[in-house]
Amino acid sequence: MDHIEHLEHTESPANMKKQIWNTFYVLLVLTVVDIALYFALLSSHSIYKNILFVFLGLVKAFYIVSVFMHMKFERKFLASIIILPMLFICFLIWLALTEAGYTFDSRLF
Amino acid sequence: MSNTATLSTDNKQTWGGGKSPLSISYGKLMMWVFLLSDAFTFSSLLVAYGFVRFTFTTSLPNAIVKPFSHLSHTFTEEMQKAGMFVVERWPSPELVFNHFPFLHGIHLPLMFVSLMTFILIFSSVTMVLAVEAGHRMAKKEVEKYMLWTILGGAAFLGCQAWEWTNLITEGASLQNNPFGPTAFAALFFIVTGFHGTHVLSGVILNIIIYINVVNGTYEKRGHYEMIEKVGLYWHFVDLVWVFVFTFFYLI
Repeated sequence: MDHIEHLEHTESPANMKKQIWNTFYVLLVLTVVDIALYFALLSSHSIYKNILFVFLGLVKAFYIVSVFMHMKFERKFLASIIILPMLFICFLIWLALTEAGYTFDSRLF
Repeated sequence: MSNTATLSTDNKQTWGGGKSPLSISYGKLMMWVFLLSDAFTFSSLLVAYGFVRFTFTTSLPNAIVKPFSHLSHTFTEEMQKAGMFVVERWPSPELVFNHFPFLHGIHLPLMFVSLMTFILIFSSVTMVLAVEAGHRMAKKEVEKYMLWTILGGAAFLGCQAWEWTNLITEGASLQNNPFGPTAFAALFFIVTGFHGTHVLSGVILNIIIYINVVNGTYEKRGHYEMIEKVGLYWHFVDLVWVFVFTFFYLI
């Protein structure tokens, strides 16, 4: 009757609740910074502006994955299984944007 | 002979068998693998967006409308005449996403989408608090936080429905776009639609596990790991929104 499963899992730290709320404030501040920068840099079309926004997005992604998705406390091997294949995405971005540059040059309007 | 039964538990080697080498259950590992494949799907959609975007000229700097100024009914036509919304040029997001519910006729660029972002981040926080409460086997707390998460997800979907309705009434669709290149509206609807479908399925999963929590299914099972698995999915949806927000509204 009392069939209780025992699962293998990595433990959360004792101050987990505090870490969750700190992450929330980080995400909140970064989103406000995003919007503030958008209006401050509205007239700029520099590629560095795009890189800045992508960088801020990656910082937010790091906080979500590491604390909310518990990746910080998991085995490093699991983290590399999931994160290393993402390098393929970087390759795809490089391919697509290079190709897009040529397409732009051959536009007729 | 009975010594052989203790073989697996005595094994100290990580990959020696008898225990999970990654200290993770099968279901959770598979959820991670699924999320990796879903990340590839979303990034191919976003890379397609980046490709199309790079083949168009960037938007003109807007010196016409200031935030909080009056927004007339013929705003789209005015922008088309002013050369802001033309087929050769990618439109500036602040001129497209400038409406806010109940504040009709005021130019409020990106305010509504910021609200949507806050709603989704907040529902992610309540989800992780539900996971944390699950570790302590606090059934009442899990119920409370799950309910907030479901409400957040539903609120986000409602916001998206409002935004879509607004853009569709202005004439945007998969084949037509009053704001400039047709691909802009098509990609917007496909990517936010694909993300919205993920939010919808996340809300449905959250409702199912909420019912299970109330019924005491996980209490009987001895652990609240299902909340963690669905939680991983829910945070992933939030993670994707970070990039959808960055590419569609900021860049």
